[in-house]
Amino acid sequence: MSGQGQVSFRNIVKMHGEFAALKGVTFDIKPGEFFALLGPSGSGKSTTLRILAGLDAPTDGRVLIDDKDVTSTDARDRDIAMVFQSYALYPHMTVAENIAFPLEMAKLPKAEIAPAVKDAARKVKIDHLLDRKPGQLSGGQQQRCALARAIVRRARLFLLDEPLSNLDAKLRLETRAELKKLQRSLGVTAVYVTHDQEEAMTLADRMAVFMSGEIQQVGTPAEVFARPNSIDIAGFIGNPPMNLVPARYVDGDVIIAGHRLKTTTTTAGERDVVAGLRPGALRMTENGLGGRVDLIEDLGDTAVLDLDCAGTMIRVRVADGNIPGEGDMISITARPQDIHLFDPATRMRL
Amino acid sequence: MTARRFRIIALLGISTVFLLAWAFPIVWSVLNSLKTDTDVLAYPPKLVFSPTLEAYRDVLFGSGSILPNLLSSIIISVGTTIVTMLMAVPAAYALARLRFRGKKLAGFYVLATQMLPPVGIIIPYFLVLRNIGWIDTYQGIILIYLSFSLPFAIWLLVSYFEDIPFEMEEAAYLDGASRLKTLWRIIIPQVRGGIAVTVVFVFLNAWNEFLFAVVLSGNTVRPVTVAMFNFVSVEQTLWAKLAAVSVLAMLPVVVLGVVAQKHIVKGLTVGAVKGGGRR
Repeated sequence: MSGQGQVSFRNIVKMHGEFAALKGVTFDIKPGEFFALLGPSGSGKSTTLRILAGLDAPTDGRVLIDDKDVTSTDARDRDIAMVFQSYALYPHMTVAENIAFPLEMAKLPKAEIAPAVKDAARKVKIDHLLDRKPGQLSGGQQQRCALARAIVRRARLFLLDEPLSNLDAKLRLETRAELKKLQRSLGVTAVYVTHDQEEAMTLADRMAVFMSGEIQQVGTPAEVFARPNSIDIAGFIGNPPMNLVPARYVDGDVIIAGHRLKTTTTTAGERDVVAGLRPGALRMTENGLGGRVDLIEDLGDTAVLDLDCAGTMIRVRVADGNIPGEGDMISITARPQDIHLFDPATRMRL
Repeated sequence: MTARRFRIIALLGISTVFLLAWAFPIVWSVLNSLKTDTDVLAYPPKLVFSPTLEAYRDVLFGSGSILPNLLSSIIISVGTTIVTMLMAVPAAYALARLRFRGKKLAGFYVLATQMLPPVGIIIPYFLVLRNIGWIDTYQGIILIYLSFSLPFAIWLLVSYFEDIPFEMEEAAYLDGASRLKTLWRIIIPQVRGGIAVTVVFVFLNAWNEFLFAVVLSGNTVRPVTVAMFNFVSVEQTLWAKLAAVSVLAMLPVVVLGVVAQKHIVKGLTVGAVKGGGRR
């Protein structure tokens, strides 16, 4: 039953009347990959997943799975399993019946269904709950039941639409780790929609970052973190978010709040830019960019300082034991490779 | 405390007045059905009397037995209910779920038929049935009953279908179920309560119907609501027998009402909370 699970989106457009939910989206997912669709709400990531599942039809463009055009293939003929945000468990069926349903629909013989259901339930640790109805399960157990129903069929593609968003914080972290292990052990291609950059960063092998109906960047979490393509991605990825401050570029240097810093760019000339500085990439130094500590957020092992640099607010993450007092004047600097430059007009990376 | 007590007493008083007003005809029927014709006409009315089942024996097994009429009522009510549900369930599902041209208009006409005064359409119905020779036939009466039971059933069922999240169906499609299978295996089991309520309502409406029945029935097909009036004639009214038939005719209503009470109350409110239930 299981295929390869390779996905290609070719210039997918989705119109809702006049509104373009997707403005020509192209990307590829490799077999066995854990691929995240990341973006703020309304950016088109869920629409993309629904088009991949076959629940919505694109206005234009092609969807290919394992090199076969499935754009007009029915959802139920695509061999795709999905976990919904609401879990969409069938409330009138027991856990076992819920998990068995896709196998029944595939007309598997009864003798094969029972062990498959047990096996799937064991993988997500709910094999002691098989006789319960979904209404008698906790949120976390319901989520596992939805996972079991999705993995039982060994579909070639495993879609997850914000599966962790209804869990409390602690359970979310636990399930996140288990989800990753589960996907690894099954070796199935997973496509994961989330608005939580941390989830995407920790789970995904690669991710596509959506902004207002377009993919602005595709890459590994490390790549996207290290070289964000645009101001929007720079501000979206990372916690606390990257400082994005207006600056002036002069012959390879960048002037921020009157202080000159070296960059890796060497082109001559002068222009306005937006400089991006990760809070964690800034270090305290002598004779650097000076500012007054306005506020300290102590996170235990590190602290985040709000620094007022002549009217420009810059946040700095410093290690514990190195924390200045509120109202202190300090000065900071960044290595040239840690300074990101963006065009304020196009909002793209320079 | 006194204000609270006063409110409770006032509420109880008002409830008692309404209860008496509504219960009176039923109590009257039950009591009179157990009297002899002489006791019925006694003045002042006898509250203490020796009860007899004579009236019941007469109306059930006497010369003018209403057993055939009870059978007619059952055939008409069950027939109407079955045909209505067979058509209303898919129609309500379509109205609740699918997007199609004219859906809004269809939804409006379903309701609009409910607003027509029955007296206004009874003559045309009679003429139509007479022209196709369906006066005094089961199919004729059931067909006419469908014209009001079907819109009612659809309207009631739509709100139940709308309560089921879309994702449930989408999950079923992705699990490999066809649309029909999804309806049968996933959706219908979840609206069982709504279907039960609708069945009860449709059945009772058909069972209690009198106005159309009296015009469209005849000697072959005569439901019990019409047959009751055999006991009312120009010379005399056989009160005990009339009361006995009334009680017999009420029986299924009361039984169904008690059995389905919980569901019926929910059925009455389900449209209310959702603002009519139709978008």
